Amino acid sequence: MTMDEWDAGDMGCGDLLIELRRRLAALDSGRSFRLVTLDPGAIEDVPAWCRLTGHTLVRADPPTFIIEVR
Amino acid sequence: MPGRFCISLTCAADDPDKATVAFVVANAAVASDKETLVFLSTEGVRLSQLGVADSIHEEGFAPLKQLMTSFVEAGGKIFVCSPCFKKRGLDDTKLVSGATIVGGAKLVEFLGDATPGVSY
Repeated sequence: MTMDEWDAGDMGCGDLLIELRRRLAALDSGRSFRLVTLDPGAIEDVPAWCRLTGHTLVRADPPTFIIEVR
Repeated sequence: MPGRFCISLTCAADDPDKATVAFVVANAAVASDKETLVFLSTEGVRLSQLGVADSIHEEGFAPLKQLMTSFVEAGGKIFVCSPCFKKRGLDDTKLVSGATIVGGAKLVEFLGDATPGVSY
């Protein structure tokens, strides 16, 4: 199964999260999603967002984050 | 994770940097599953009017209109201070989507006892 992915470029903070939320909402629970973001704040923000929303951060290797959909 | 979050915004085209960042943070909150309110008061109420946000595009950020639209589409609420709105002679037939004119009690009700927030 291919992994869904999104290269968000330098998008960050609310711009990034609102679009990330929309993309993950379209996926089935348990699917893995690869996010690439160059935003320097994402290193802290993506893990925090996963904790807040219940998605699982499988791997954080900035600029790449692997998220399992809740 | 349930909970509420409030962003108080007191500027519009007079400080486009603050107006923009307020809605960036609002989008972060609503995307984090918080029931999120943007409370527009004093000059901020001008953003409740259709077309006002259209020309605000701070360098390094998405256009304000796009940020406001994303926020509302994600379920965010916009409360507009009634006396501030009336003082400026604004038009209640030209409200942007998601905006509601309210008095102070409605804000106090939303905030409850322990709703966190930030101000711009």
